[in-house]
Amino acid sequence: MENFILCIPGIPIVIALLLIFINKKEFIPKVSLTLSALIAVLALFGSYLVIRHDLSITGFGGLVIYNELSAILVPYVAILGLVIRKYASKYMWDEAGYKRFFVLLNFIFAAIYLLVMSNHLIVLAIAWQLMSIGLYLLVSFNVGSKTAVKNAKWTMYIHKGADFVFMLAVILLYKEFGSFDLSTLSQTWLKMASDPVSNPTIVMIGFLFLAAAMMKSAIVPFHIWLPYTSEAPTPVSALMHAGVVNVGGILLNKLAFLLLLTPVVLNVAFAIGLFTAIFASILMLAVPDIKRSLGYSTVGQMGYMIMEVGLGAFSLAIYHLIVHGIFKATLFLESGGLIHYARRDPNIPERVSYKLFWESNTEYKSSNTYYLIALFTVVPLLIFAGVKMFLSEEFFEFNAAIVILAFGWLTGTQLFLSFFKVSKADSIKVIVALVTTFLLIILTYEFIGLTLEHFIYGEHALLFYQAATLNVTFAMAVIILIVILVVGWLFMYKQHFSETDKSVTVPDRARWAFYRTVAHEGFVFGLLNRLRKGKK
Amino acid sequence: MESIILLLLSGGVPYFALIERNKMLNAEKTLLLTAALLSLALVWAHLFSVKVSCYATTVALGSALWAVYRANKTTNFYRLGYYIVFVNAPLFVLFSEHALLYGVSLLLSLSGLYLVARFYDRKYGSANYLAIGGITLSTPYIGIFITIYLISIALYPPFPNAIAFLLNTLQGSLDQFEYFVAGTVFFANFYLAMKALQNALFGHSNPHIHYIDLSMKEKLIHLVLVMAMLSVSLFGLKEILA
Repeated sequence: MENFILCIPGIPIVIALLLIFINKKEFIPKVSLTLSALIAVLALFGSYLVIRHDLSITGFGGLVIYNELSAILVPYVAILGLVIRKYASKYMWDEAGYKRFFVLLNFIFAAIYLLVMSNHLIVLAIAWQLMSIGLYLLVSFNVGSKTAVKNAKWTMYIHKGADFVFMLAVILLYKEFGSFDLSTLSQTWLKMASDPVSNPTIVMIGFLFLAAAMMKSAIVPFHIWLPYTSEAPTPVSALMHAGVVNVGGILLNKLAFLLLLTPVVLNVAFAIGLFTAIFASILMLAVPDIKRSLGYSTVGQMGYMIMEVGLGAFSLAIYHLIVHGIFKATLFLESGGLIHYARRDPNIPERVSYKLFWESNTEYKSSNTYYLIALFTVVPLLIFAGVKMFLSEEFFEFNAAIVILAFGWLTGTQLFLSFFKVSKADSIKVIVALVTTFLLIILTYEFIGLTLEHFIYGEHALLFYQAATLNVTFAMAVIILIVILVVGWLFMYKQHFSETDKSVTVPDRARWAFYRTVAHEGFVFGLLNRLRKGKK
Repeated sequence: MESIILLLLSGGVPYFALIERNKMLNAEKTLLLTAALLSLALVWAHLFSVKVSCYATTVALGSALWAVYRANKTTNFYRLGYYIVFVNAPLFVLFSEHALLYGVSLLLSLSGLYLVARFYDRKYGSANYLAIGGITLSTPYIGIFITIYLISIALYPPFPNAIAFLLNTLQGSLDQFEYFVAGTVFFANFYLAMKALQNALFGHSNPHIHYIDLSMKEKLIHLVLVMAMLSVSLFGLKEILA
């Protein structure tokens, strides 16, 4: 029975092959959903076994494994797959190529399961490349659309680059360590980490894997494929933003012990992740197209994930990618329902949030609100940090604290900015909602981050923070955080609450240049178009 | 000497020097001749352990790049088929131990492409795929098989070309220049196959064409070919894992 769990990657292939022979359209979603429900049940059972008996299930000659990482990710992917298939069964009904869609969807899920459960670099390489081709065929599903096909081509080029870099890394790794088995390799790397030696080949391997992960996870400058692929059917968008882009983080987690040997790779990952998070978040706010905006939002979140890896918070990256995946898939899958409601009702559909925050018009531009929100955000945070310090010495070594706190602050600010436009911003309900959400984010991140860390990496978890030489002490983290908080709140105060002279409207040159850069999405696409025209 | 013979058999040099210039053969016959020469080359390489000179590799690379340039302009499945052989010629020069596996894989993919080209030739009067575009929705079965053959040529697993390529790069002792050559051929295969895939499969159906899909017999032939490809893949995979 245990070994049957290892057949999970094969089940979607069986579904796809079955679908080829089914001619009655009604049976296509039924077969697909029933068997994918079986995958979800198997995945949950596998996770139960791993958690309950503290064991890893290996099979097929050690090629696949159901370990702690799989126990978290496989149920997530299985449930996501179930939801996407259920949604697609009706959403895609009138589309040409209904069967083809389900066949391709099952193939890409097989690749994702194989990637998550692989315990062998060759299997990982195969799954890695299968995902590329599966994604290409799904993104170009709308075959009649020239733009969809063109964007799929760009996606394919970047993913092929990722495949090439990945294979190069595998070849170098094999030549250096003489094994493909990830469990054996992890033990070797762990032993080497206790007595680190500077080896340029290992650093090169680390960089190659990082580059491959960056390409698949749409990290700047390889992000261009993601914001422009929203023409794909909505279930595919949901899958891309909740599943496919995450594989970079999954890969880096699988190779976490290798990265122990390459602190410089972790530092670069941190820097690039930070830049991506900021750059993409700004673009997200600047682009006028809602779909591209969502694309940049995902790019920003992936930047965050890579940044967490760079700080040694590998398990936090896993948590982040799951949470972001659920959130983003919900956004995409909800969009159809919203359009449906909006067509029936000329006003915004009345939901709980609408009733709570939008109904009456009250004045909101008062500095009291600002002080209240600032106070209720900063004080609980400081109390929380203080209590945590008092209770756990580990907190001083848990350097991802800076990430958690900064993320909490950023998310809180985003929430604040969103609600600020709401007519009831002065209301106590809004303030309570803000502060509660903010604290909930902090607590969840803190609690689940540590729990996952102990579950996946156990006693070795702290090694990653030691390896990440950008390691900041707790005192430094608090100082940096306070600076960020103060600057952020001051900026917000100046922006929204203090009286500004409206007559001065001409921005200075630096601001104007910044605005132009952001409005043109960093000039990346202009440059590419110019290169293409130059060729012609 | 052996490497030069190998290059002449599998590379584009004889084609560019003789056949193309004198227009001796049509595209279909050229593809068949190229496949026959490639088979000979594989037997040659298998019988004699060919010592590769850097000179032969450079000539093969030059010929391959020229073939990429020519293949980029063609929209004919037959021509694409033999240009693909020329593009891959450097790999037969480089890969010594498992060149046979890569060659067999390529021959299987090309056989599929040849069958597709012949199908187009008979049903639509030409093996040109550009004017017939949009077959994904109109004739899905031929679309599936074209996708499989071109994906295989583009070096994607689980098809044998990718597995053989990986096996050779892993187990061969290539130097930096040879890795560069292998990388160039890797991307060249991908570029040509994906371009053909995009032009042949996607786009709107042409209303002036009466689309015809594969018959049951043709489907079976293609299915057998695909099964053969997957069997070779399994063999290659076993070699890697061993």
